[in-house]
Amino acid sequence: MGSYLLKRLLQTILVVWAALTLIFFLIELVPGDAIDARSGEKANANAQANLRKKYGIDDPVGVRYVKYVTNIAKGDLGYSFVDDDSVNNDLKETFKNSSRLVFWGGAFQIVGSLVLGFIAAAKRNSIADRVTSVLSVGLQALPVLLTGLLATLFFGVIPNNANWQWLNFNRTSWPLEGWKLGVIPPGDSWKAIVLPAIVVGLVNMAFLARLLRSSMLEVMRADYLRTARAKGLSNRSVLVKHAARNALIPWLTAAGLSLVEIFGIAVQTESVFGIFGLGSRIAQGASLQDGPIVLGLSTVVVVAVALTNLLVDLSYSILDPRIRVGGGD
Amino acid sequence: MSTLAIPHERIVAPPVSFWVDARKRFLRNKLAVFALVLMLSLILVAVIGPLVLKGDYKSARSGFELRRIGDPQAVLGTDDLGRDMLRRVVRGLGLSLMLGVAVSVTVTVIGMTLGGVAGYFGGWVDALVGRMIDTVYAVPYVIIAFSILAILGKSIFALVIALTAVGWLQTARLFRAAVIQVKDLDYIEAARATGASQRRVLLSHILPNALPPILASIAFSISSAILAETIYSFLGIGLQEPTPAIGVMIAGARSSYTVYPHLLLVPASVLILLTISIVLIGDGLRDALDPKLRGAN
Repeated sequence: MGSYLLKRLLQTILVVWAALTLIFFLIELVPGDAIDARSGEKANANAQANLRKKYGIDDPVGVRYVKYVTNIAKGDLGYSFVDDDSVNNDLKETFKNSSRLVFWGGAFQIVGSLVLGFIAAAKRNSIADRVTSVLSVGLQALPVLLTGLLATLFFGVIPNNANWQWLNFNRTSWPLEGWKLGVIPPGDSWKAIVLPAIVVGLVNMAFLARLLRSSMLEVMRADYLRTARAKGLSNRSVLVKHAARNALIPWLTAAGLSLVEIFGIAVQTESVFGIFGLGSRIAQGASLQDGPIVLGLSTVVVVAVALTNLLVDLSYSILDPRIRVGGGD
Repeated sequence: MSTLAIPHERIVAPPVSFWVDARKRFLRNKLAVFALVLMLSLILVAVIGPLVLKGDYKSARSGFELRRIGDPQAVLGTDDLGRDMLRRVVRGLGLSLMLGVAVSVTVTVIGMTLGGVAGYFGGWVDALVGRMIDTVYAVPYVIIAFSILAILGKSIFALVIALTAVGWLQTARLFRAAVIQVKDLDYIEAARATGASQRRVLLSHILPNALPPILASIAFSISSAILAETIYSFLGIGLQEPTPAIGVMIAGARSSYTVYPHLLLVPASVLILLTISIVLIGDGLRDALDPKLRGAN
């Protein structure tokens, strides 16, 4: 286990470095720079040159790359080319908003998929079975941004016009004052998280529930379950101790990957609901060619994604001993 | 089973090849057949629509008027620049279809090559491809898409490249797993033992047997490319006005869909019909091609 852990850790560090380097050079290849993007057509060439000097944009690529890597290692993400704000400050603000969205969305998708998946497997053709089946097919066909726009239409605009305030969840009061991770303060502000969290979690919730259902059904046909039943174990014990544990392995991998995907889904959700989050800030920074913002904030996303992947692999190897014996490759 | 009553008759079904069997199973799936019919009619609309509905769909009309659905001059209404929604959405449909097919071809070729090589050779090749996948996977897709579109210019061609760059991972992973599963099976061993060349083993033994899971994923890669176009256009890094793409229409609806819902609902419905038919066909293919389900209902 120790050597497996070490190997995976080294791989993770390698992937983080490779991804950050890829991002650096991708942004590098984009023609023009932040100064062009910031000053528009009628720019004063002298003023532009001064700005480039100030931000070190004129330095050779190699110098800037080394500076970038060493600064990141020190935890200094630099300053925005566009508004001179510290990227670290931007990160604090956007991370707070994104982490709330991802936390509640992730919780919704994990809990929802476990509950619906088990019910759908235990009671085939029940309402839970049909709901997950329709949702999992239907939502694959919808981009998250459209789910979000339709949600604001049906649970915001239309109830508001019809004066059904109880059905109106369209609150755009982000950032949420007084919120701590996992704790919702009393008052009305919980309404602001409902639609974004459901929109973030719904796609993968339905997919994970279907996956759990089908792996449960597959496991329930296996010989060792027949053996367990033949031994006279109760139905409950067969389902929980034998079927669930084995069926959870594919679910766990997929759930882990879906937590990685949630960052991508969050970009769209943040954009639709006007949440000042990591993803929407990266997209905004990218369109302004604000190198430090894009690089700095993506660094955080890349590290978060890589760590989630690592944790998924490790928990997978704990559940399924064949993987660590096989060395993971 | 009535044949059991006749003592000397053989109770053997006529030999059926895998593909015939798969086709039969696909056609038995009513939802998938319905989706196929829907898909074919959408293709028909996308081909015939632009020929029938000529006239301007790109430029703003002077003295424009925003009309709602059901207007005698514009069945699906007009957008905020007075352009006919029907004309635009028909062209958007065709664009989405072409984009989806183009991306799925490139994604499948690249994904199958890299995934197949990794799965077949294993060792350091596999490790290299695996880390490549991990690396691209770790980079936010917004950044990859944005840079490629900014480098190549915001064109449909650039969008195909960008969607390929983020889309090949899934196919590569799937095909790698399929090849690994197949390559050590006894009949591959047998083929090698009879002296088949590596090329022959790869092309006529491993490829056809690792192919079925990929076929369903091709359908899904079409729909995810179509969805990705709307995402990128919506985030402002994809296609732009006046291109009549579905994503551009949805992005354009953003400021006034709360007052004029048809601006959102028209392109959204076309998108949903299109992608849902692809997803259902993909589901049908997956069920029909899964050998484990062979003989099951």
